[in-house]
Amino acid sequence: MMRISIDIGGTFTDVVAETETGLSSVKVLTTPASPDRGALDGVGRLLADLGKSYADISAIIHGTTLATNALIERRGAKTAFITTAGFRDVLDMRYEKRFEQYDLNIEMPTSLVDRPLRLGLQERILADGSVLQAPRDDEIDALADRIRSEGVEAVAIGFLHSYRNPAHELYVAERLKQTLDESVTVCQSADVACEIREYERFSTVCANAYVRPLMSKYLGALKAELNRLGFDGSFLMMLSGGGLTTLEQAMRFPIRLVESGPAGGVALAAHVAREVGSQKTLSLDIGGTTAKICFIRDGNPQTTRRFEVARAWRDVKGSGLPVRVPTVELVEIGAGGGSIAGVDMLGRLKVGPRSAGSDPGPAAYGRGGADATITDAHLTVGNIAAEGFAGGMISLAPDKAPSAIARHVQEPMGISDVETAAAGIIELADETMANAARVHGIELGHDIAAFDLLVTGGGGALHAARIAEKLGIRRIIVPQNAGVGSAVGFLRSPVAFESAISVMELLHDVNVAELSKRVVDQLSFVRGIVEEAVPADRVNTTVKVEIRYKGQGLEVVLEHPADTSFVIDAAQLEAEFIDRYKALIGFTLNNIPVELVSVSVTAREKRALSTHAFVPSAPQEAVPTRKVFDLAAQKQISYQIFKRASLGAAASHGPAVVTEDQTTTLVRPGWSVRASGEGHLILDRSLS
Amino acid sequence: MSDNLDIVAQNVLWNRLISVCEEQANALMRAAFGAIVREAGDLSAGVFDANGDMLAQAVTGTPGHVNTMAASVRAMLAHVPADSLNPGDALVTNDPWLGAGHVFDFVVVTPAFLNGKIVGYLASTSHIVDIGGRGWSAEAASIYEEGVTFPVMHLRRAQTLNEDLLAIVTTNSRVPHEARGDILSLLSCNDTGVARLLDLMGEYGLDDLVSIASFIFERSSMGTRKALARAPQGVYESVMTLDGYDTPITLKARMTISDGSISVDLSGSTPAVVRGINCPLNYSAAYASFGIRALLTPEVPNNQASLDAITITAEPGLVVSAERPSPVSARHVIGQALPDLMLGCLEQALPGEVLAESAGALWTLSLSGAGKTPFSSLNVALGGMGARPSSDGLSTTAFPSGVGSVPVEAAEVSSPVIYHAKEFICDSGGAGRYRGGLGQRIEIGSRINEDMFMSAAAFERLTSGPEGRQGGKRGSQGKVVISDGTLVTDKGMYKIPAGERVILQTPGGGGYGDPADRDPQALERDLSDGLVSDEAARTLYTRK
Repeated sequence: MMRISIDIGGTFTDVVAETETGLSSVKVLTTPASPDRGALDGVGRLLADLGKSYADISAIIHGTTLATNALIERRGAKTAFITTAGFRDVLDMRYEKRFEQYDLNIEMPTSLVDRPLRLGLQERILADGSVLQAPRDDEIDALADRIRSEGVEAVAIGFLHSYRNPAHELYVAERLKQTLDESVTVCQSADVACEIREYERFSTVCANAYVRPLMSKYLGALKAELNRLGFDGSFLMMLSGGGLTTLEQAMRFPIRLVESGPAGGVALAAHVAREVGSQKTLSLDIGGTTAKICFIRDGNPQTTRRFEVARAWRDVKGSGLPVRVPTVELVEIGAGGGSIAGVDMLGRLKVGPRSAGSDPGPAAYGRGGADATITDAHLTVGNIAAEGFAGGMISLAPDKAPSAIARHVQEPMGISDVETAAAGIIELADETMANAARVHGIELGHDIAAFDLLVTGGGGALHAARIAEKLGIRRIIVPQNAGVGSAVGFLRSPVAFESAISVMELLHDVNVAELSKRVVDQLSFVRGIVEEAVPADRVNTTVKVEIRYKGQGLEVVLEHPADTSFVIDAAQLEAEFIDRYKALIGFTLNNIPVELVSVSVTAREKRALSTHAFVPSAPQEAVPTRKVFDLAAQKQISYQIFKRASLGAAASHGPAVVTEDQTTTLVRPGWSVRASGEGHLILDRSLS
Repeated sequence: MSDNLDIVAQNVLWNRLISVCEEQANALMRAAFGAIVREAGDLSAGVFDANGDMLAQAVTGTPGHVNTMAASVRAMLAHVPADSLNPGDALVTNDPWLGAGHVFDFVVVTPAFLNGKIVGYLASTSHIVDIGGRGWSAEAASIYEEGVTFPVMHLRRAQTLNEDLLAIVTTNSRVPHEARGDILSLLSCNDTGVARLLDLMGEYGLDDLVSIASFIFERSSMGTRKALARAPQGVYESVMTLDGYDTPITLKARMTISDGSISVDLSGSTPAVVRGINCPLNYSAAYASFGIRALLTPEVPNNQASLDAITITAEPGLVVSAERPSPVSARHVIGQALPDLMLGCLEQALPGEVLAESAGALWTLSLSGAGKTPFSSLNVALGGMGARPSSDGLSTTAFPSGVGSVPVEAAEVSSPVIYHAKEFICDSGGAGRYRGGLGQRIEIGSRINEDMFMSAAAFERLTSGPEGRQGGKRGSQGKVVISDGTLVTDKGMYKIPAGERVILQTPGGGGYGDPADRDPQALERDLSDGLVSDEAARTLYTRK
């Protein structure tokens, strides 16, 4: 039995195979013109290495950025949008709000559907779900003619209040399907994102329609080719929300795939957290241009249904297209290895969000990059060594780093030595990441000092100790296999599906029987999807209720296991809400009614924890040292150098660096390091 | 600490102080009642030093709160001396002349004590949905009719809440529990801020904020000075005419740019009027300086030093410097026009760098039940932003305000109204090489077939649209009409009879540059999108 995961990213495609004995992986270059080629090449090479064939594969799990890239590069289908007459500009009006107060030059993203193809239809459903005006067949047929003559490939339908009553969307979709060529995709907003707020729902359905022809074609072809090569196992897709789904569902809702790569990274973090018994985990992934934070409780990542893709203005929050689909909740910070440090017009030190990327990259890459980056700062203080950087794939020119820092930071700031300037860059980056975690943690009502910090990405282990100190965190986890983390995460993810219903009624006005029935119907629906891939006895279902004081924005989420006997219990929900609110805010409000915002249901596969024992190599005979500049001490101190593979269960004490191909772990003074039974590094802060 | 370490630490600390304010503001935003308040981010939070000088502020706040709050801490300490404050105390006021310009905005200030000494203050301000009086309209003839005003007083004394004050709030407000909740949220968000401030002082071993304050102020005044140097020194004047309540209002500015500072005198503007569109000087100053700073010093964060570089004055008693007891509820009608007035001055100093005029004041759309069913619904109807020197204006997007609209579905769920249309208006954006942002047409009726009242207090620019620059044309003027034929001509209350609808057409932004120079491709796209008509393309854009 062998399972294989394929993660197609912008630059690399990772393929990982898991057999009874362990994991093996290959990294190949992504082939953007036909991404399946690179993927199949990778799978083929891995099978050859293992001496196996396609017929030996029991499951393939796939994640791809293809849909995201199509949205960013506007390479999707020619799409039409049918909406309530009088509201075709909702897609352009957006929130009618500038996302940057002090930048007069911002631009909004252009809509995926051109205005001439945004077609109004005379129909109207009211806020209570009642019908004010029904659509007329002759008008629908006229729109169909228009769609045909324009050569439209995909149709999105979004009517006001369809989250409450989807009848008109359904009727129009059915009639269009009868008259249009079957190659034309038709999507309804209530189907893709059954939630109140017309702009977000319309934006989501348009994005889904826009990428669906492309994704269906790609996935269909990939599956057919795999089958031709002899594969007859199950084929699953990674979703943004951290679960897996069947190919059929992925082709129906391709917009749910947009964040699959990052979701895979978080899935790995969640798995490692379970392995090492961490119940409260803050995952931090530091890459080349950004860092991403996610909170994980009891091995379950925090998820959200608010997400935006394809940001149009300098990657600023608010400048993208909103999509309301389940997504792991990542807070992104513009600080990574390639982030550029400099001094602003106030003489203040600034790090990021501008990044030198990988080309030209940091000054030390010697590829013509003249900017001082975080990587240059690490090299200058001695946190990383020039030899063996990135497993020897990139050779560093060590003298270029300090001179870039001297020019861009040390001299303009009037600091007397370049090491302090470099250490200042790192300290500010650490502060920025710690701040983001702190602010987000407070929003979620978490006591962050009680969390463990789990770091991935090339830079995570370099920054972890200092960030932990700033947050009062006492334990750090550095997982094995962090280099192909997302693809490994796919293998660790359960098959799962989530669906939401907007309610927006006072808790005590809710028609309990009617809503309970809708919830139970949805439970059966999501369970059915998961059961396409998982035996019924291995499927769990839960209900999440979003609830708040009427008029307030603060929504509390209450989650409970539920089955088809589920019934809304208003009194109990209210009591739970009051408790949680008090814990979050410190006081409760009297005489303000409680409102039920939405109910979402999830079906999820129960998965056993699959782990592989780790055997350390023989301890190093001699432990070399190197000098690392310490900001607080204002001098160099001596760090021991351990090879990661040599660390076992016995603790070694900092100051030390732990080296491996993809990253370096900094064990600052006051910390100790050991390897867990699975080979993950555990850093503990001594009680001092 | 060595000098080197000091430089690094100060940089890190400055970031952390801003983050403390962000945390405070986020917490407030989530706890605020009223959709429009949340959409608006109509709130702010800041941290101040022991002198009451603002060190940092959340960037989420609206301009009207940003700049008024900086002054309000010192103003409040003038009423309650710092040495009379004790740990656990907090002060509050909603005095328009001390806070943010109308009685809806409450400011709460909490001292932070370390070792028995005040080391700083946390302040926050937020719009409370209702505080009695006539509610939201321009109909009051004096401040006394606009709601209950609380002079500076203790909201809490040594951890004991001033329940008397809260009882007055709940007795006078139409939404008593929400108003109480909002005020308590201000208090608790300041407490969080105090705790964070003391944490970071502990972490960095600070006994006071003196050294970080002087670092922030020095850097900010240097940065501001540098940025302002871009504008040639001199005196520049600008005039603007608004519809007014029922007779036109003139706004006048005389701007003096000198070495590292700008002063603006608004004297000569129309005297205060008898209806509530007057603006206290603190709120005028907030928006006027926002207009200047958004153009010249967008990168300098808000603090005492960066705000001190710009001073706004006016002789007392004008619409821009109204005094008690002038009514001021809808003060944003005047206040939000001031950035365009400032940009009119700066256009002379920096020709070619200044965006065209925008639709200006938010059109507050306040509807309420006039039949059997009581309700009140608050939304905004937004016009176009002026074209920029190298890009089109943003359509249906407020400038200078940062307020967005409430979604149609959310508005219809919370009130018995139906939006029948909400669409761009063809040709509403001022023609130009770069086109002004478009206005929109909104059509609303009752869902329950009952009469409705509408306040027209903020429907401004009904007689002339926003001006273009550098040869760009005016954006279209606004128009509000009720389907029974009634045309809105003043800022009073109007009745929308059962079965009728109100049709609002918001102003478009001014154009930038000669329309004949518009990129032909951009013009063709506007034509095919139906944003510019064939006729306008021929006559205004001289398309063959």
